Amino acid sequence: MKWFKSLIRVWRRETYLVFTDIGVLLFFFALPLGYPLIYTLIYNPETIENCPVVVIDNSRTAESRELARAVDATQALKVVGYAADKEEARRAWMEKKCYSVLEIPADYARRLGRGEQAVVPYYQDMSLMFRYRQALLALTGIQMHEVTSITASRVANEAGILSTVVSGLPVDTHAGIMGDPTQGFASFIIPGIVVLILQQSMLLGITMLAGTSRDRRRRSGLPVDPLQVQAGPLATLFGKSLCYLMIYIPMSYYALSVVPHIFSLPHIGSFTDYMPFVFAMLLATSFLGQTLQIIVREREAAMVLVVYTSVIFLFLSGLTWPRYAFNSFWMAISDLVPATWGVEGFIRINGNAATIADVSRYYWSIWALTGVYFITALIINIATRPGKASSASLQEKPLERNA
Amino acid sequence: MHTLSRSLRRGIALMASRPIYLFMMVVVPVATAFFFLNLMNEGLPLKVPVAMVDTDHSALSRKMGRSLDASPLTDITMELEDYHQAVNKVRSGEIFGFFYIPSGFQEDALSGRTPTLSFYSNMSIFVPGTLAYKGFKTIAVTTSSGIVQTTLAGVGLGDQATQSLVMPLAMDYHLLGNPCSNYNIYLSQSFLAAMMALVAMVMTVFSIGYEIKWSTSPAWLDTAGGSMAVALAGKLLPQTFLLSGVGVAIQAVMFCWLGFPLNCPPLTMIMAMILLVTASQAFGVIVMEALPNLRLGLITVSLVGILSFSIAGFSFPVDKMYGGIAIFSFIMPIRYYFLIYIDQALNGIPLYYSRFYFIALLIFLLLPLIGLKRLRGKCLHPVYVP
Repeated sequence: MKWFKSLIRVWRRETYLVFTDIGVLLFFFALPLGYPLIYTLIYNPETIENCPVVVIDNSRTAESRELARAVDATQALKVVGYAADKEEARRAWMEKKCYSVLEIPADYARRLGRGEQAVVPYYQDMSLMFRYRQALLALTGIQMHEVTSITASRVANEAGILSTVVSGLPVDTHAGIMGDPTQGFASFIIPGIVVLILQQSMLLGITMLAGTSRDRRRRSGLPVDPLQVQAGPLATLFGKSLCYLMIYIPMSYYALSVVPHIFSLPHIGSFTDYMPFVFAMLLATSFLGQTLQIIVREREAAMVLVVYTSVIFLFLSGLTWPRYAFNSFWMAISDLVPATWGVEGFIRINGNAATIADVSRYYWSIWALTGVYFITALIINIATRPGKASSASLQEKPLERNA
Repeated sequence: MHTLSRSLRRGIALMASRPIYLFMMVVVPVATAFFFLNLMNEGLPLKVPVAMVDTDHSALSRKMGRSLDASPLTDITMELEDYHQAVNKVRSGEIFGFFYIPSGFQEDALSGRTPTLSFYSNMSIFVPGTLAYKGFKTIAVTTSSGIVQTTLAGVGLGDQATQSLVMPLAMDYHLLGNPCSNYNIYLSQSFLAAMMALVAMVMTVFSIGYEIKWSTSPAWLDTAGGSMAVALAGKLLPQTFLLSGVGVAIQAVMFCWLGFPLNCPPLTMIMAMILLVTASQAFGVIVMEALPNLRLGLITVSLVGILSFSIAGFSFPVDKMYGGIAIFSFIMPIRYYFLIYIDQALNGIPLYYSRFYFIALLIFLLLPLIGLKRLRGKCLHPVYVP
């Protein structure tokens, strides 16, 4: 009971410290509330429509015009003009008037008519992979359509009676797209990014609280931070985590549930599946934050150190470069980041309607990580207690002002 | 001149006095560069784990399974019995897609009853989803043409004729500058440069704000003979030197060692890197002039720096973003460096086309002049607001 009371005291004090510090409030509230909206607004156009293409039509036949029309008719591409030769097309590309060039060879119609294979060169600007991806999907569609119709007519014409044997292609294909059916960019990246935002903003807030506490101690000249509640290590740890979770559970509901609703992003997972998952990730993050306290010597250092890890953590989560292609070293590092499991699990629950049983291996990994960081946080809490172990940390001199 | 050398000495001494400077300006960029370049060393995450759901068990379906497994794009990690099992494996993240062959497939295909081959790719993660899609599509098409070929050959048509009959139209893709669509080339160039810009902005704000926080700014100005410009030069030039050196070293690793495309004179990219570092420092100074407070300044440049990875249009084109968002890309130095990189190193077009990007970066260098007086006032009477 006494232990419980001290836990409540720690929780109340931490909550007080959070709500009286504008910097921490910014990280705990403004960031998780604002960033998901900003990021979704950046990527919300989802797909690239009408990416400009220049056509060099050396064939000038009904067939070549038909091909150009088919390209123009796709959602992804738009023919913005015709060039007389490669040089003119190149100039248009250099002036950023187009990002790809379709060069229809002079013998295009002749080859098709003769029953030979027509090869059409397509030049693609590679500054953005996304443009290439969209163009490739669109052109594959055209190619398949043309191939089917040309083959059907050829077989009918040339092979005569064979048309009864072969009409068009003998096999239909059906391509099913899962997870992100419209293949939009926001729908792909936002579910992962919001999970990362939850982790990073919490880490920023916790480390800033720790840095401020050290600043306060240094300014007061006392061996401990005057505002810190004296309580056992377990009560301190849990009391603080309770405070952070109290704030972050509503925040994660907002980021993971409300934001997809506002922008109509894919969101077919069930609340009861992803909330336990996210709860575990938040708990692991709160202990990770309390572990990282040790490296933060003052208020502002927190930001400098944590901010740049955001991009690294994004890549470690496997959202851009999938985790199966990691070497074992980076795999091990990425295993240690709570958001890695958070992202892996959440995108599957959110986009593929996985249940918590489906993603159980991520779920148990995150609980294992919670255990690891609980122990590290506990060790650090005990080791940095005044009187017990670290006379070193007590005598830590104020930061050298300047030489 | 004397005051400048004194300021420079003070700047260098300060930089050497605390480990965070060297850590942030050397260790962080070098470690990040190692991370990116090593992680994506292979260029494309080939061999996507996928599953084969073969309910036909015919010679033809087994052949398709073998081709799918032999394809560089996909790797069959499991063979499953039905659709639901496969969907569950996708949900659990073990596979990124699966190929479904219906029962009776071979018989239907050979007797002209047009069966349907299905393949499913999970686009929750773009790159493996797309690669799996590409692999599946190729196999489906080759199988289908293979059947036509066999049928036609069976009734006496020659190989040549059947070949062109089944693939009358082929696209020949020329990917300019990055022929293998290598993700390392694509992502590392922009992200590592953006990291340099972020570090330059953060450290500029940190070193100026730190003087104000601990009220050492009057002494700092004093060393410079009371001139804000000299004081800034003394503090920032050593950092410029160090950061440009690290930035160019990272470029050298990418262009010389890893052989990333460099279709322009090396000097162009070196100049671009130095301009990126100085423009980012100038951005940091502008922020400190507007908000002369360590914490507010850091928050601002951190937010801008992190958002610049998205808004500068490395993955989603700026011209397709909403106007109200896209406009912010113009106030970020990294955007211009990225455009210079695309034009010069990747595409190798004449320098003339990139002239405005260089000018934009140069303009950044002039902007801090506007608020020098305000910053000087704040430095003379420092107030720390926690």
